[in-house]
This record gives sequence, structure tokens and C-alpha cells, in this order.
Amino acid sequence: MESLLSLAPRFGKAMLVTLALGLSSALLGALCGFVLNALRLRFTRWLSRPYRAYIWLVRGMPYLSQMVIVYFGLPVLGLTLSAVQATVVSLAFYSAAYFAEIFRAGWASIPPSQLDAARAFGIGRAAAFRTIELPQALVFSIPLLANQTILVIKESAVASIITVPELTMTASEVVSSTYTYIAPYAMLIVCYWLLTQFIALTARRVMKLIAPLEDA
Amino acid sequence: MSTLPILQLRAVGKSYGATRVLQGIDLDVMKGEIVSLIGPSGSGKTTVLRCMNFLEPYDEGEVWIKGQLLGYRSAGRTIRDRDSEKGLAEVRRPVSMVFQQFNLWPHMTVLGNVAAPLILSKNASKADARKHALAALTRVGLAAKVDAYPGRLSGGQQQRVGIARALAIEPEVMLLDEPTSALDPELVEEVLSVIRSLAQDGMTMVMVTHEMSFAAKISDTVVFMEAGRIVESGPPAQLFGNTGTPRLQQFLKPWFERSLSAPISLEGRVDTI
Repeated sequence: MESLLSLAPRFGKAMLVTLALGLSSALLGALCGFVLNALRLRFTRWLSRPYRAYIWLVRGMPYLSQMVIVYFGLPVLGLTLSAVQATVVSLAFYSAAYFAEIFRAGWASIPPSQLDAARAFGIGRAAAFRTIELPQALVFSIPLLANQTILVIKESAVASIITVPELTMTASEVVSSTYTYIAPYAMLIVCYWLLTQFIALTARRVMKLIAPLEDA
Repeated sequence: MSTLPILQLRAVGKSYGATRVLQGIDLDVMKGEIVSLIGPSGSGKTTVLRCMNFLEPYDEGEVWIKGQLLGYRSAGRTIRDRDSEKGLAEVRRPVSMVFQQFNLWPHMTVLGNVAAPLILSKNASKADARKHALAALTRVGLAAKVDAYPGRLSGGQQQRVGIARALAIEPEVMLLDEPTSALDPELVEEVLSVIRSLAQDGMTMVMVTHEMSFAAKISDTVVFMEAGRIVESGPPAQLFGNTGTPRLQQFLKPWFERSLSAPISLEGRVDTI
């Protein structure tokens, strides 16, 4: 117990790093995913194949390999990123595929008959996107977005390999300097659990706020 | 007073791949006229209706709304350029629609549903849209439900919201696609009575319906369709007068039997009491 408490400050700091890393990657990934889906909807004819190729590629590769390509591969092309930058970029690139699919599902959840009505009343495509599809698709997507954000936070552990001082890296350091396993890994579990609970509860609160009619 | 039809269909045809779903549809709808489209399922009634506002693009012939060609840049029978989204919306402007499944927007309140087309397509101010929407909802007897969400209303109420939405844009023609088919029998009448009152006010309407008695009473013209063609059209007395084509008579037979047997069986019951 005492050793756990002595580890707290260090893990607290690392937890903030993981949170910042995970949230900024998820935010960037969600933004890219949203734009990807919006473009796919608008330019279906030209973009549905490239879109599927991107999803196929990103989902088919482990995140680790994508991070390695960004961190060790891009410098070959003259673009050198810090470990943190490389993590955020690669994690955003990776999660954007999943986020795009979440938005695709959100849009697919809206019956086409609602858009028939929009067209019949002369509501343009852009206005229908903004006022009819977006609000409903977002409400549909929130639980899935929270879920994906949790996955991104946990996936950020891979960044420990390129020495980003986040939770997993911190746990490994403690292990290798003290040769104790139980306390640092127990601490690691608790920290990840706290982070994921934070995301889950935030999502639930947002859901209650914007869609009080839906059963949470 | 112009004698130009509000809505004019000339040799309209449509195919899904190799299947021809509409063929040679000619129809004029004059101001104040009420036209009912009847016919068996799959005969193309709903498709014709949806071609009238280009929800379903027709690929042969022409649809004219107040003398303007709908959906294409030029008339003729060859491959034609589609009109722009803006141009289409402009030509379609006098036409509004009521859907079989209501097609309300569930995330908007009743008032929001009725006001949305005014704000998003007619560029009305919010206050103006609100006023018009409220007037339309009062017209269908739902002024008390403005803040409710569609999901909390009965089917009949939802369809009346649908009608209010179609009314609020002050259309010159209303297209009604089986407006009572998705309703419980006891909710049908509240919707029919709203439509009846619109008819009394001289609203021009084209309606796909299976309510034969209603169509017989309310229509100026009844159009009987089968297999993508108009088989027969004329005043209700002609079509429902048991003098139509054999196919029409066969189609109407169950309705004749029901409407004849209902009063007789009632009398029978009275006799036995």
C-alpha cells in the first residue's frame, strides 16, 4: 500500500500525459473521420473506392506498424516528428478510419424517407445535412464515439515503445528500476480504469443533456 | 383566369433497369381539381405521384408545373440534362407532399417540423415561420401540440402534422401518398376530415388512395392505373358506376360488395331484434 502511494505522483503525471495524448489523438481522429465521411457522402461516386481502400488498409494493419512508419519512416522523407507528435499523428490517422465508420453508421441510421421529405420541401442538400442528418447522426454516434475514444486511450500505450512518458512507459520504468511488478502494474490498471470511466461518464452526461428522451 | 393546368404530365415513363414501371402517363390537373389515383399494389400510383415532384426522376416524357418543365433543362425524348438542385427546387416550389409514413423529422418538435421548410427553403424569418406554422397547425387542430415531439403523437396526429407541414408552405398543389394507409382504422377519419376540409377550401390535390368511398365522394377525377399505365380516368360517377372496363370492375368488386352488404346486414340485424 505504501509503495502504491509513493508511486502516485509519478503515475498522476503520466496519467495526464496519457489523457492529453489520447484525447488530442481522438479529437483529431474524430475530426478527420467526420470530414472523411462527409466527403464520402457528398462525392460518393469519386470517393467511395479510395475511402474503402483507406479503411481496408488502416484496419488491416496493427497500430504499432503505423506508428513505426510515422516515427521512423517519415524522417527518411525529410519529415522528422518528435515522439509525442508521431504518436498523435499516427494515432489520429489510425483512429480516423474507425471514427469515419462510426459516422457512416450514424448517417446510415437515418431513414432515407426523412431526406425525401427534405427534398420534397425544397430543403437543399447542405441544409438537410446540417439540420436533419447531423443532429440525429451525432446522437446516434455518441456512445460509439466514447467507446472509440476509450480504445484510443488504451492504444496510446504503444507510444511507450518510442519513449513517450505516458502510463505504460512509466510502469515499465518503475519495474526495471525497482524489480517489483505488482505495485506498478496495479497502479497502471487503476489509472487506465479511471481514465476510461471518466470518458464513459462524460459521454453519458452529454447524452442525457442533448437527448433526454433517449434511454441512456 | 388561366386555363393552363397547374400540373401536366405528358407521356411520362420510367424504368428500373429493364422493368418499365410507368408508360405513357398523360394527366392534367387543373386549379382546384381533386384527382385520386387508384389501382392495385404495384400499379405505379405512388411512382407517378413521386414523379410529379421529381422525388422519383422520370425518364421519358415531361412533367410541367405551371408551365415549367420539372427536373430537366429541356423537353424532348432524348437523353436530357438534369436541372440543378436550385432550378429543381424553384420549379417544385408550388408543390407540397404528404407521405404515407408521415416522414416527419423525429428530432424536431411539431412546430419545428412545420416551420423547418419555411426557414430552410423559403428563407422566412424565425418569427414569420413560427406564425405560419402555428396557423397551419391550428388548421389541422393541433395547436396544443406544438412543443411535442412526433414520437409522442398518435399516427393520426402525426399525419395531421404532415398535412400542416405541407400546408404551411402555401402550396398550389398537394400530393398525398396514401395518407391514411399507415393508420389504425379508428384514426383514419380524423385525417380524412382534415383532407375533406382542404377540399372544401378549394385546395388542388392529387391523392393516391385505397379509401374508395372517400375517393368517390371527394374527387373530381378518378384515375385507375394498372401495370404502369392509366387504364381509365374520368369523374367518379363514371369509374365507380359499375360501367368501367372489366379490369376496373374486377378491382372494385370487393369494395362494391362491402359497401352494398354493410347497410343490408345492418338492416337484417335490425329485423331480427
